[in-house]
Amino acid sequence: MFNKFSRRAGSGVAVTVAAVLMLTACGGNGGDAGGTPDPNEEVTLNFTWWGNEDRASRYEEAIALFEDENPNIDVNGTFMDFPAYWEKRQTEAAGGGLPDVMQFDYSYLRQYGENGVLLDLTEYEGNGLTTDGIDETLMATGRLEDQTLAVPTGYNAWSLFENPAVLEETGATGYEGGTSWEDYDAYMTSVTEASGGEVYGGTDYTGRIQNLELQMRQEGRELFTDEGELNFTQEELAEFWSSAQGLRDNVTIPARQLEEVAPKSGFGSNLTASEMTWSNFMGGYLGDTGAEDLTILAPPTSDPSVKDLYQKPSMLHAVSAGTEHPEAAVAFVEFLINSPEVGAIFGASLGVPASETALEGASLEGPDLGVKEYLDSVADRIGDPPAAPVVGYGALENTFLTLGTSIGLGAITPEEAAQQFFDEVAVTLGS
Amino acid sequence: MTTGSAPAPQNTRTTAEPGARPAGNRRAGGHPKRKGNSETVAGYAFLAPWLVGLFALTLGPMLFSLYLAFTDYNLFTAPEWSGLANFERMAGDTVFWGSVQITLIYVLVGTPIKLAAALGVAMLLNYKSKGSGFFRSAFYAPSLIGASVSIAIVWRAMFSAEGPVDSGLSFLGINLGGWVGVPALIMPMMILLAVWQFGAPMVIFLAGLKQVPAELYEAASVDGAKAWRKFISVTLPMLSPVIFFNLLLEMIGAFQIFASAYIIGSGSGGPAGATNFYTVYLYTRAFTNNQMGYASAMAWVLLIAVGILAFILFRTSKSWVHYGGDTK
Repeated sequence: MFNKFSRRAGSGVAVTVAAVLMLTACGGNGGDAGGTPDPNEEVTLNFTWWGNEDRASRYEEAIALFEDENPNIDVNGTFMDFPAYWEKRQTEAAGGGLPDVMQFDYSYLRQYGENGVLLDLTEYEGNGLTTDGIDETLMATGRLEDQTLAVPTGYNAWSLFENPAVLEETGATGYEGGTSWEDYDAYMTSVTEASGGEVYGGTDYTGRIQNLELQMRQEGRELFTDEGELNFTQEELAEFWSSAQGLRDNVTIPARQLEEVAPKSGFGSNLTASEMTWSNFMGGYLGDTGAEDLTILAPPTSDPSVKDLYQKPSMLHAVSAGTEHPEAAVAFVEFLINSPEVGAIFGASLGVPASETALEGASLEGPDLGVKEYLDSVADRIGDPPAAPVVGYGALENTFLTLGTSIGLGAITPEEAAQQFFDEVAVTLGS
Repeated sequence: MTTGSAPAPQNTRTTAEPGARPAGNRRAGGHPKRKGNSETVAGYAFLAPWLVGLFALTLGPMLFSLYLAFTDYNLFTAPEWSGLANFERMAGDTVFWGSVQITLIYVLVGTPIKLAAALGVAMLLNYKSKGSGFFRSAFYAPSLIGASVSIAIVWRAMFSAEGPVDSGLSFLGINLGGWVGVPALIMPMMILLAVWQFGAPMVIFLAGLKQVPAELYEAASVDGAKAWRKFISVTLPMLSPVIFFNLLLEMIGAFQIFASAYIIGSGSGGPAGATNFYTVYLYTRAFTNNQMGYASAMAWVLLIAVGILAFILFRTSKSWVHYGGDTK
């Protein structure tokens, strides 16, 4: 009886192992080159994005419009929040089942691109996909080596947000923008003091790796070397985190309070007067704070003559290498990127539109216009973007954030945090 | 194959289930003991859905993860054999040991408190009173919804600044503020959440208490034993098999804490690693950091560790668990 059982068990395992191996062996293979989709072929495209309800309703509108223009193509849209989005994509990438078209993030481009799961769009450029209307430096962010793997929807830059309503409550003077780091620290101190501890001048900026990058670019360095290794030492990192100890003790919003309001930020919760983040956070922050308007200013700098900022693609659109309908997928990307109607639907909520035609359709106004004006105002400080983020950058950025929080909570010292960060980097970048 | 109308159970003794007949005929070919064999086939046919589930969904992936534990696998490229590298790395990973530490504290402190609460309430409910049926259901309710995401969210809100817990404590003159942002207060909060879900072990305790013969208590009373003495000398020994069962089940369950920790710590194990329980860290390694090999190695270490602890518990049980009919 038992022997019989185990013989069957043996064959069952063999079948299962074979099935698993088949699943993992299924890589994507590219489609045929170029051209426009066959108007008679019935096609269903899977499209996915991350974002909130607001973005979802805009995409639904855009999809309906696309389906009207292309009656034979049916677009099946799904969305989720950012962390879950990438967890899902990782497993799909492993199983060879990525959606045909994906809203993509810059920090994951190299990881997916180098592993060949994204369709090379080069041969479609000028042949189904118009990229002439997109600024070349921005377009370059979707390229890896000689391949075009993704097309940017729009751009943003690092910026400093200020909440006039919170500021007014305290009676303190606003931040001028673009002055020295010491000035910004003094501004935050004045707000915290003026409020008597009700609200804070800002958030501990050493918690974000982008601020380290900003300070390094102001010294003429990048976060990573051309070889994709860290361009700073463990001691420098510890020093960076230590530099804000005085602010953490007396000025910036306590980490404990930030944990309480998570996933909103301190700024989004109306607890701080200022915060540095990407300029396309405007829409999200207006929603979070409920404020009527927010001021967007240039971040502090140690050297105003240096081109420390750069245009980052707020998001991109990419096509899976395994898609069965590359022409239709490209046509949909073309529509999302360049159509003036889509520009009008999204405004600047996917960044200030990258494509000229979409930007014309967008007719920016209100806060969207504020973002555009900010980006124009810092044109002198915009330099070349860094190379596409290293594989695993998304995870490192997250580790940096978590360690910054732990320092803020007093759970570890900056030195210990720097040690942990470098241990992590050794694993992530070493393999 | 296994769907279709199954005959009433009493008929299966002599005739095979219709749906299984083709397989039965094939198999039965050269066998003289046709009748007995078709019964075996029918038995396996009924087992088939479960067997398929076991092999395809449990055993297969488990064996594959054992293989992955010895590889470097990032989900994109084929797994690369790396020998014991994952396990060596685990030994030197301070975050890993931090997660082991908080998980052990949670299991070793939380489980006994939860069982004590379950036993205490079970003893109260064991007294015959008017509303006991209602109270039994009421106390059991939290275990039904306890593991859900919504409860974790509610729990987080309850313990935040100016939430019900903070307000209540402030009323008593204890000003702790919100618990969510304080690493040291996360563990008590998680344990309270676990203890609150004492319903399942309570029901089992209650059933056990009903089985304790009343004459034992009567005899103890005649000997002049007071309530506490009766509890120590009658209730606990008579209940020991049930306690053992609950202890084993709850301990294994506690090691697997995930959903509530994931929600309360916003998925990042925060604040300062206070919710970075073993399974949360494993999940982060697998799906955020794409280190599927390392995560698989962690999963196997957990399986083996829990297995060893269960084994130890079984061995010690001989000295403190008394089964009915034992002379001692």
